Amino acid sequence: MPNRIRSQALVNGYRMTKSHPILKWVIGLVGLPVHAIASIFYLKQKRALDYQAILRQELAELKHSALNQQLRQEYVSQYEQKQQYFKRPLDEQERERVVNQQIDQRLMKVAEQQLADRSIRAVRYQDVFQSLLRSQVFVLSTFIPGLLLYSLLLIYQNAFSRFIFERIMMTFFVIIAVIVIVFTILYISPSDAAANILGESATMDQRMAFNRQYGLDQPYLVQLWQAIKGILSFDLGHSFTGNEVIMTSITNRFPVTLTLAISSLVFAIIIAIPIGIVSAAKTNSFWDYSFMFIALIGLSIPSFWQGLIFILTFSIRWGILPSAYSPQDYLSLVMPVIVLGTGLAAAIARMTRSSVLEVMHEDYMITAKAKGLSSRQIFLYHGLRNAWVPIITVIGLQFGVMLGGASVTEKVFNISGLGSYIVDKQFIPDIPAILAGVVYIAIAISVVNLVVDLFYALLNPRIRSQMKGN
Amino acid sequence: MTNHRNLFELKQSDPYKHGYFALTLSLALSVILLLSSYNMSEQSWRTGVLGLTVLYGLTTLIQLMIMICLRQDILTTGKLQRRTLLLAYIQLPTILVGNVFTASFAFSLIKKQPTINYTFAYYLFMTDLLVIGITAFNLFKPYVSNSFIVSIGILLGLLITDLIVIILIAKQGCHLGNHKKRYQWLVFFLVMTSLTGNLFRLILAYSLWLQVARQDQATVDNWQFFWQRLTRSFTAMIGLLFITIILSLSITSVGTFVSSFATANNYGAMLTDPSLIHPFGTDNFGRDVFSRIIYGARISLIVGLLTTLIPMVIGGLLGAISGYFQDAIDQVIMRILDVLYAIPGVLLAIAIIAAFGSNTINLIIALSIGAIPTYARTMRANILMVRNLDYIEAAKALGDSDWIILFKHAIPNAFAPMIVRATLTIGSAVIATSSLSFLGLGVEPHIPEWGNILKIGSAYLETEPYLAIFPGLAIILLVLSFNFLGDGLRDALDPKLK
Repeated sequence: MPNRIRSQALVNGYRMTKSHPILKWVIGLVGLPVHAIASIFYLKQKRALDYQAILRQELAELKHSALNQQLRQEYVSQYEQKQQYFKRPLDEQERERVVNQQIDQRLMKVAEQQLADRSIRAVRYQDVFQSLLRSQVFVLSTFIPGLLLYSLLLIYQNAFSRFIFERIMMTFFVIIAVIVIVFTILYISPSDAAANILGESATMDQRMAFNRQYGLDQPYLVQLWQAIKGILSFDLGHSFTGNEVIMTSITNRFPVTLTLAISSLVFAIIIAIPIGIVSAAKTNSFWDYSFMFIALIGLSIPSFWQGLIFILTFSIRWGILPSAYSPQDYLSLVMPVIVLGTGLAAAIARMTRSSVLEVMHEDYMITAKAKGLSSRQIFLYHGLRNAWVPIITVIGLQFGVMLGGASVTEKVFNISGLGSYIVDKQFIPDIPAILAGVVYIAIAISVVNLVVDLFYALLNPRIRSQMKGN
Repeated sequence: MTNHRNLFELKQSDPYKHGYFALTLSLALSVILLLSSYNMSEQSWRTGVLGLTVLYGLTTLIQLMIMICLRQDILTTGKLQRRTLLLAYIQLPTILVGNVFTASFAFSLIKKQPTINYTFAYYLFMTDLLVIGITAFNLFKPYVSNSFIVSIGILLGLLITDLIVIILIAKQGCHLGNHKKRYQWLVFFLVMTSLTGNLFRLILAYSLWLQVARQDQATVDNWQFFWQRLTRSFTAMIGLLFITIILSLSITSVGTFVSSFATANNYGAMLTDPSLIHPFGTDNFGRDVFSRIIYGARISLIVGLLTTLIPMVIGGLLGAISGYFQDAIDQVIMRILDVLYAIPGVLLAIAIIAAFGSNTINLIIALSIGAIPTYARTMRANILMVRNLDYIEAAKALGDSDWIILFKHAIPNAFAPMIVRATLTIGSAVIATSSLSFLGLGVEPHIPEWGNILKIGSAYLETEPYLAIFPGLAIILLVLSFNFLGDGLRDALDPKLK
């Protein structure tokens, strides 16, 4: 039984991909070896059964039957009535041509149908291939050349795995394209890296040597390939200045930025979601207005200014928190986390409020009320459960904005994270280091968005049923 | 029963909501002023700020009285009594101390049924008055610019005509009567004088013109409906007021401010405390921070507007094309934009600036490119909604080409959300500009841009904190105004309400 299901799965996957304009070609290309073997079977079967000859014979028989005469009369009268209605002259030749054409078409269909009734069908490649996919022996024997094809077909037979696979492929494409774009921007820079780093006094030979050392004398495509390879294999060589290995600097700094970002995210969620819920539950109350006013201020505060004011108040005036970050001191993380989390918290609070408010007016909320649930139950079990999808989306999107904006906060609090690394390297400008920093942050954001997407595709009943419907 | 209904009416009434908001805000302002009037390090009171605190406290008190009267009026008779009106008239001059919240509330209260034209007129007046008030600080400087007398004279003259316009429109009511000719001249005058940057003048002129020129009634109604909804949102109007003031200041400052105070070094007056000569103090080169902030407004507004307009046009066009033509074009455009979307705006800007150097033009380009995908997505979503509607089908049946349908029918009808998005993102563009300048990646350091002023201020945080506080407040106020206006526009343009 499981075997049967699996073989049917391959056929389902094949049918699914065949209707897709691009996938059809991908599958054809990937499965080239399997198709080659299958076409041998196809030719053999075709030779064994000369369908065209049988069909011709059948047609000839039909031409002499009573059906032919009957059809002729029918079509002639149809043609004449039509010409009469449109007040057009009758033309013998044209009538013959139209009638014969219609008879031929009709007879062909009848003949095919009669053959099909006797279970004689034309040998079509699609049918042969699908029946081969059903046979376990064929699949097993072509397993090695067809591994790629079979795994693709298995992925595509299920809407879930298809969605996940496509989403992962999309992320991969985005990552590669991000590398290409950022590299290209840095490549077409009008400034000469060698002149910048070595200074104006450097001789032509020194500059050439510098270019050779960093591969800057290579053509664009070679450099691009090196960059993609380097980023994907986590080996980017040395930076232009300071003779540091870029990857070591990044692995040292990335955890700092990530700790900061994740703590800010947690802080923002803890603050914002209750505020949003309270505001939505008590719409147009004093608390609602105040919270939303504060949230809008939170959106409007530039983080570097907020950081400066915090340092002024809590470090200089009151002296309760350290103004600069040190990894051992958890207290020094408090201000950066609040500063970085403010904008995020404001966005989440606003989204939570509007999302809960929107859900409150849905039909199922009225149904729940009609069922006699208490308003508290309705709010908890029906309202909140349905309101969180847009909230998660906003969190995923804002997390990216936050990682990008972290560089400003890091500079204000003197945190040696990835953001401040990029900013520092920007002044040189140290091209490989900037490339690596920007691309790795973009990759982190893409991966987070991927996880968020998959997470709620799997958990959101609406999206789930939509996929099943397909 | 009636009492219950009146209570409901009270909670729904716009004047009551506005008044409550104005009361809360002027109370908050009074408290903030009180706190800042006490100098903690020297254990003494700042007399100037203390005086302002007393004035604000007074307005808050009057506002409280108005609210009590208003509450009573609505609950008992449902009509305003004479004493409430009298208090509102007393509240009008609070605009002179800069309390726009109570002043605009009083203006809206003294007219029984405020028309939108009347609303424009008093906002117009408040803008001109505040611009003159802020400009007047130049009088305390050792000298003023050559064109100061002429410019301030023109502004004062306009202020007087503003008063005439208010009275004219307050008397006129809803219909223009037989004075169409006269109003045509008024429209012409308002358009010409809106060159001072007072947007309300332009809006009022358009509004009057719509009535004078016997336009299609539907256009007039749409216009009135939209503004009635927007003016109902007090915060949105205050936001628009502040944006207009900043715009007007950045235009009139050409004639009224001395640019050398903002840019030339003056080693005789380095790092002085705030005073009447230097309301926000001076920086480490002796430059007047007040003048610098006024000049910075110009740059912030220009950069903010450009970094919104450029991606709005490019992104909007790409989104419209991909939404309208679909399939292959759609896939190609949107996948490329997805890639741009994956790179955070600030980081993309840093990469572009690293490659092409840091100056204002590159900053504008860098921020614009990063913002394209959001606009494209917004436009595409709207076009997808619009493209299956009947009027598009009708245009197709009439044989219009795809491009004509797209530009004449689809885009205009899908444009409202783009305006809302643009208003909301000008704020973040202003923040991004000043953030990058603060990092040293944006506007050239010698230009008085708000981020640059803050960067200097951050070096003197311990000794002269006001150097960092005031430019920051300017940024927040401008961004907050755009956000308030954006929120108001979103509600006013919400298609569900039509």
